[in-house]
This record gives sequence, C-alpha cells and structure tokens, in this order.
Amino acid sequence: MRYLAAALVLLPAAILQVTLAPRLDLAGAFPNLVLLVVAGWTLARGAAAGIRWALIGGLLLDLVAPGALGVHALALVVAAYFTGFLQRSFAPDPLLLPAAAGALATVLYNLVLLGLSELAGHPLALLPVLQVWVAPSALYDALLMPLAFLLLRRVDRALPLPVRIEW
Amino acid sequence: MNGRAQSRSSGLFFGSVAAMVALVLLTQLPGASTPRGYLKGAVAPLAVVSSGVLDWAGGGVAVLRDAGRLRADDRRLSAENAALRRQVAELQAQGAENSELRKALEFQKTYGHRLLATQVIGRAPDGLTRSLTIARGRADGLQVGMVVVGGAGLVGRVSEVGERSATVKTLVDAESRVNAYTSKSGLEGTVIGEGGPLGMEVLPKPGVVVAPGEWALTSGIGGLFPRGILVGQVAQFHRRDSATLEQADLAPAVDFSAISMVMVLTDFRPAAP
Repeated sequence: MRYLAAALVLLPAAILQVTLAPRLDLAGAFPNLVLLVVAGWTLARGAAAGIRWALIGGLLLDLVAPGALGVHALALVVAAYFTGFLQRSFAPDPLLLPAAAGALATVLYNLVLLGLSELAGHPLALLPVLQVWVAPSALYDALLMPLAFLLLRRVDRALPLPVRIEW
Repeated sequence: MNGRAQSRSSGLFFGSVAAMVALVLLTQLPGASTPRGYLKGAVAPLAVVSSGVLDWAGGGVAVLRDAGRLRADDRRLSAENAALRRQVAELQAQGAENSELRKALEFQKTYGHRLLATQVIGRAPDGLTRSLTIARGRADGLQVGMVVVGGAGLVGRVSEVGERSATVKTLVDAESRVNAYTSKSGLEGTVIGEGGPLGMEVLPKPGVVVAPGEWALTSGIGGLFPRGILVGQVAQFHRRDSATLEQADLAPAVDFSAISMVMVLTDFRPAAP
C-alpha cells in the first residue's frame, strides 16, 4: 500500500518534471516537483520514509533524464536525509520549516548533481551555476514547499502508519 | 526511540548511497547504454501523452488570458471577441506546429538534407543540463551523434538513443562545443554552450572585427556538424588586443524555451568525436 501510494504520487511528479516544470520558468529557474514531494514526505513521515520515496522518485527521474541511472536518486537521498535532520531538530511548523527545508533540499540536491558531473569529467563553473540556477531554484522551491507540505500531510493522514514489531 | 529512528535512517541512508553509487558506475559502462535505453524508452509514452495534454491545455490557458483582456472592452464585443479569439488561439496552437513543419520543408529545400521531423516530449529535469527528449528512437533509425535542427537553425546532437525516444544535447548545454564561422567577417571559432546565452571563442585575424548582427554558422570543421547550419546571431563582440582568442556573445537562432518540433538529419554521418 505504501509503495503503491509512493508510485501514485511520484510517477506523475517525475513525468510532469520533464514536461510541465520547465514551462514554469521564472528568472531562469523552474521548480523540482519530485524534490518537493520527497522533502514534503520527509517532513511528514521522517527521514527513513523520505529516503524510501527519494529512491523511488529519483529512479523514476533517472528514467526520464539523460545520463546514467542513479544520479538523481543519489541526489534526492542526500536531500531527504538532511531534510530529516531539520524535521527532527525543529518544532513542526506549516510555513517556515517547509520553506527552509525546500531551500536546503534544493541546494543539496544540486550540489550532489554538480559533484557527480565533476566526477564524470564534465565540470561546470560552480559560481555562475550557483548564481544563475541553484539560488533562484532554491527560492522557487522554498515558496512552493509549504503548499506541497500541506498536500502531503493530507496524504500522510490518509495512509496508515506501518506497524513495526519490536522484540 | 528518537535515537533508534535516527540510527535506522542513517543505516538506510548509507545503504542507499552505496547502492546508488554502484548503479551510477554500472550504468555508465559502455555496454549498459542499450539496456538503459530500453528502460528509458518504457516511460517515454507517458511523456508523449503528458506533453500532448500540456500543449492542448496551453492553448486553453492562452484563450483564458485573451478573454480576460477583452473583458475591459464593450461587453457585447467582448463576448463575440472571446469566441473568435478562442478559435484563433486554437488555430494558432495548431498553426505553430504547421509553421515549424513548413520551416522544416524550407530547410530541406535549402540544405538538401534528409530530415526526420519529431515532437519534443520532454526536457531535462534540472537546470544543469540542457537537453530535450524527442519521440523518435532506434526504431526510426536514430543513432548517437546525429545532428538535430529546428526551423530556425541548429538545435544540437543526439546523445542517447532508446527504442522509441532519444535525448538531444542542445547547443546551449554547458558541455556543447560547435565549430562555427561568422557570416560576413568569415572568422572561425568555437561556439560554447553556457546554459542560456552562447559564447563564441573567435580566432582573431589582423584588422578583422566581428560586427554585432552577424550570423554564426557551423563551419563543418571536425566533421561533427555539416557546414552552413545557422547557430546564432552575434550580440556583442569583445575585442582584446593582447588575447589569443576573442570573445563574442551570441543569441541562439532557436528559441529553446518554446521549441516543440525538431528535425533529425538522417543522411549526415558525423565523424567520431
């Protein structure tokens, strides 16, 4: 049930990321819908659940993106793990925490992609990329994150929490 | 309890990172490109449907925008105009596609290359790579390295091929390099993708200056692109007397944010890079 819900949310998000999101261009940046879903789910359910969704969403994104498989999944896993730190460290808040998580997740996600690009022998000029792409997209995602979180909290309430048997 | 949850998520995190690093390395091996293409091809039909729906909805949004503007005018005229504008917008949405195809035919007449027209079904999910996904693949005879053009000029090269879809690395991608020459001054150089605008490193000739407004076309040097395809227009030329290379800023001939149809040159075999 949990994985079905993840697929039902993440598959449309991944498809819309390559078809709709680039059309929502503002000041050279566009939102990352899969990242918003993963970060929102991490805030709602914690780091472990967020990492699972990051793996599924990232692999779906890898299937619609150019290049090797696993690149976007790796970047999303890192973003989810550190969003989990924010979720654990601060009191739940419907506006500021999601906005901060959205910005942090976007910066981490892009830094991982930049690092992997560098390792693959395709270096990108860090400072221009940070100015022209990473900073505006972090702001864009920060603005959209509270709305994404609101929607995902509804999904969270609709889905039963997994029962863990403790020995 | 919190500590246990943290240790569980840390374990999952490190395990996931290790698995994804292994997957990245594995799928970058030369032999992995074919299965990778098949996997990616499996989701391409979803992108085709989504892209089609969004194009159709885009026409609808244009209609609403137009109707909103007309509301300020006379009510009767506005009602009539809204209906007319809706029809016009719908025709424009279809017309834009027709116009691209007409440009393609014109292009074919001008350059004499065999072209395969195709729809753009997706773009890169992040802003770091500037690529397009097109709805043609290996089944249509596409190969890595094939040159892709739009009605207005050069788009890029095919970088990955799946069974029914392919990825085109555009000339605005940071990794893109295209050898070109300027139309009037005849200076040779390399056009470099910079994510949005284009830069051209020009080999200087004594007494020759590139004028803004000149066109840059592919020179054919290196054998990756045929000679004479429009790349962009010189917006600014930076002359530096002491430099071994001069720099020009180019505006791409193709509007990459709005492109919906492209053509693949099927009869040009690029030299191995």
